[in-house]
Amino acid sequence: METRKFTTLSMLLSLAVVLNIIESVIPLFNGYIPGLKLGLANTVILFVLYVYSFKDALYVSILRVILVGILRTGLFSIAFFFSLGGAILSVTMMFIFKKITKLSIVGISIVGSIFHSLGQIIVGMFILETANMIYYLPWLLMFSIPTGIIVGLISKELVNHLQNDLKIKEY
Amino acid sequence: MNKKDTILIVIVLIISIAIILGYKLFEKDGIKKALVYYENDLVLTIDLTENIEKTYYVEGYNGKVKILAGNGKVSVDEENSPLHLCSKQGYISKSYETIVCLPNKVIIKIDNIDELDAIVK
Repeated sequence: METRKFTTLSMLLSLAVVLNIIESVIPLFNGYIPGLKLGLANTVILFVLYVYSFKDALYVSILRVILVGILRTGLFSIAFFFSLGGAILSVTMMFIFKKITKLSIVGISIVGSIFHSLGQIIVGMFILETANMIYYLPWLLMFSIPTGIIVGLISKELVNHLQNDLKIKEY
Repeated sequence: MNKKDTILIVIVLIISIAIILGYKLFEKDGIKKALVYYENDLVLTIDLTENIEKTYYVEGYNGKVKILAGNGKVSVDEENSPLHLCSKQGYISKSYETIVCLPNKVIIKIDNIDELDAIVK
């Protein structure tokens, strides 16, 4: 990996961690629906996915979960595995949908948001051995639309403005 | 945003509304009970048909979890956790609803036992 790319990705990773910590302070609907978050860190992941590659986005995403785990929730806690499941599924699905569909960055962002919730619910069902968590699925699906649109629009601006500054060709 | 995005949004909305309607259809009638689990073991069963709200305590991972139950609904009133998500969630009353207290490893489910079954038992 060239030095320029390495440092840029490291900076983006730290940005993702900070955004993750900031948004954990902003409660949406006062925790009435568990797991509901704005997903600001996804702007960074989307940016990496569009400007760099799937592999880089996956690395940044997993490292973000590990770092947030060390800083806040504790490594290998239940919440850590929730985030890990959500993050991996979300990045993979965003990549697949980006490849096979003609969705814009906003649509891809919604896809990422949906599969982040879905990944967490799947991990939750395995860890807690209960299917009841699926009750939250429709609400999380519905809220993934507005949050996905907001995150998508931010990422679109980021890609438009920063792509040339970083002198990287879009894939 | 393009046309494909709008199609995606519409599909997601239809799916989520369909699932919510599905829950409403499969909601069971009968004698309501709240089942409290700690680390996947059933530790407490509360009859929710009584008209007085009672207080129950369950030992969670971070100390005692205070549960209010009665009048067909149940909620977690006090618990020791970083975000207090399960006490903020408020009351649940339907058979598909769950309160999950991850830091305390406590799960509360509601189950409706068929009235005929209950009489036989």
